[in-house]
Amino acid sequence: MEVVITKKVDRLWSSIQLFLLGTAGLSLLTLVCFQYQVNSTTVALLYLIVIGLVSLEGNFVPAAIVSIIAYVCLDFFFTAPLFALGMNQILDVVAPITYVTSAFVITRLISRLRKANEERQRAQETLRKSQAELAHVTRVMTMGEIAASIAHEINQPLAAVVNNASACLRWLASDSLNLEEARDAAQAVVRDGKRAGEVIARIRAILRKTDPEKGPVDISRAIREVVSVVQDEAVRNNVNLRLDLTEDLPSVWGDRVQLQQVILNLLLNGIEATAQRPDGPREILIRSHPNGSEKILISVEDSGIGVDTQDVERMFDAFYTTKPHGLGMGLAISRSIIEEHGGELSAIPNDAVGTTFQFTLPTHRTNSYARTATNRFCR
Amino acid sequence: MPEQPPIVFVVDDDDAVRASLERLIRSARFTVKTFASANQFLESGRPDVPSCLVLDVKLPGLGGLDLQRRLTESAISIPIIFITGHGDIPMTVRAIKAGAVEFLTKPFRDQDLLDAINQAIQLDLANRRSNAEIANLRERYESLTPREREVMQLVVAGLLNKQIAAELGTSEITIKVHRGQVMQKMRADSLADLVRISEKLNTRTAGQR
Repeated sequence: MEVVITKKVDRLWSSIQLFLLGTAGLSLLTLVCFQYQVNSTTVALLYLIVIGLVSLEGNFVPAAIVSIIAYVCLDFFFTAPLFALGMNQILDVVAPITYVTSAFVITRLISRLRKANEERQRAQETLRKSQAELAHVTRVMTMGEIAASIAHEINQPLAAVVNNASACLRWLASDSLNLEEARDAAQAVVRDGKRAGEVIARIRAILRKTDPEKGPVDISRAIREVVSVVQDEAVRNNVNLRLDLTEDLPSVWGDRVQLQQVILNLLLNGIEATAQRPDGPREILIRSHPNGSEKILISVEDSGIGVDTQDVERMFDAFYTTKPHGLGMGLAISRSIIEEHGGELSAIPNDAVGTTFQFTLPTHRTNSYARTATNRFCR
Repeated sequence: MPEQPPIVFVVDDDDAVRASLERLIRSARFTVKTFASANQFLESGRPDVPSCLVLDVKLPGLGGLDLQRRLTESAISIPIIFITGHGDIPMTVRAIKAGAVEFLTKPFRDQDLLDAINQAIQLDLANRRSNAEIANLRERYESLTPREREVMQLVVAGLLNKQIAAELGTSEITIKVHRGQVMQKMRADSLADLVRISEKLNTRTAGQR
């Protein structure tokens, strides 16, 4: 309710401003033209320009009032008989009709254009929201696929806690009292408990459902966090994850969760492709390094079953999948996320075995695209 | 024979779990040696004392079950207790069939692990004793002459001196002397004793093939 009132007041205020501006313009024009004895037709056209400018705001009422004032000025100061009103000439009839008609047409066109623009923005906003939602759903599904590994990741520190606590109790038992050992074990309990908490926090961060939130991201660190989540999945599939991360890379501007989703996706695809190979090296190399002075290149090189050159682009299509339970959205979403960050995601078949997926991201200071994109959405 | 203190070997890739296992097992007054991978364990020299192996199933590189097979193939007998984060039934069956003492799912009760370790150490002790005994008997058997071995075989088969003499084409007296030598060298008190010794030697020989 309050918002509506404020809007109405705002609109009234801008109408008054427009009216005042238009009137000032008209007065100035009238003064100058009167001084220089400009003929009535030229003045009528000059007035039309002022009306056109006022109409550009798309507000009919001030434009109409300015039109009437323009007509009055024209009739009073420029058309014979001077200093008197009255429909004495053809211009006295044509001018008001032209003024009001142009004011009406221009304001209607402008307001329509504005409405269309607003709708487009709303549609874009909705699209962005549904993309974020879809990304979240696939994220949850992906994490669901590796639920067993995640459970293991949490179970490990818990097992250590139980062992250490048992050891602590044994050292405290009266027949084998050893406070030094008991203290050591209790400290280990605290350490491992914290570790379990950290694992859960990391997983929650990935599963978090919020609107994309952009900020500076340390990409090497983001990669390491994802690797710790899929490490067990890799071991389970007998795949070795090797990291070649450049430290102190300039940060990138983006949504950490979404970027991690892309990395997670590429890693899991790589693990799956590599696990399908019956023999040979089973390794995935994850690298991050600068690419030129303004970009960072992240690559995931697997030694998997590979993909045919003609299928490379199809992999990025929505619903394209080779997995029995796959939704086929992973790579499509990954690509849209990277593009939204002003980067590029591509796949290249390796010379020997496997495939390399790589994406570039502009660094924080150079990423004007992503920043303007954010600003646009912020409005 | 003086009893040496037993050693418990632990192989687990997770630092925290490995350290916690060491603490727990040490609290039960065992000597513990830990390894982060199966290969590390294989490369390490193992002292000749009663021991057992607490082994994580899921290890990077050479897995727990692979290590078990590798040990069996190279005739290294060490009782194994498997621990795992997510044990499925086929995995458990495979491990137990291949001779594992116990299969525990993390997190386990401390007493379960310690009981299993005690059981495994006892098993290793028994294995070692019987191995030592067999080695002893084998040594005695090696000291027999070829002819004495022939005689022993026939005696154990239940033949009388007379029959053996006929079989080998010598006199009964000679056989009697050989037989006395066999009984003495094998340190058998009676015919029944000799049969038992011979069985141990044979089953062991057959079992190793």
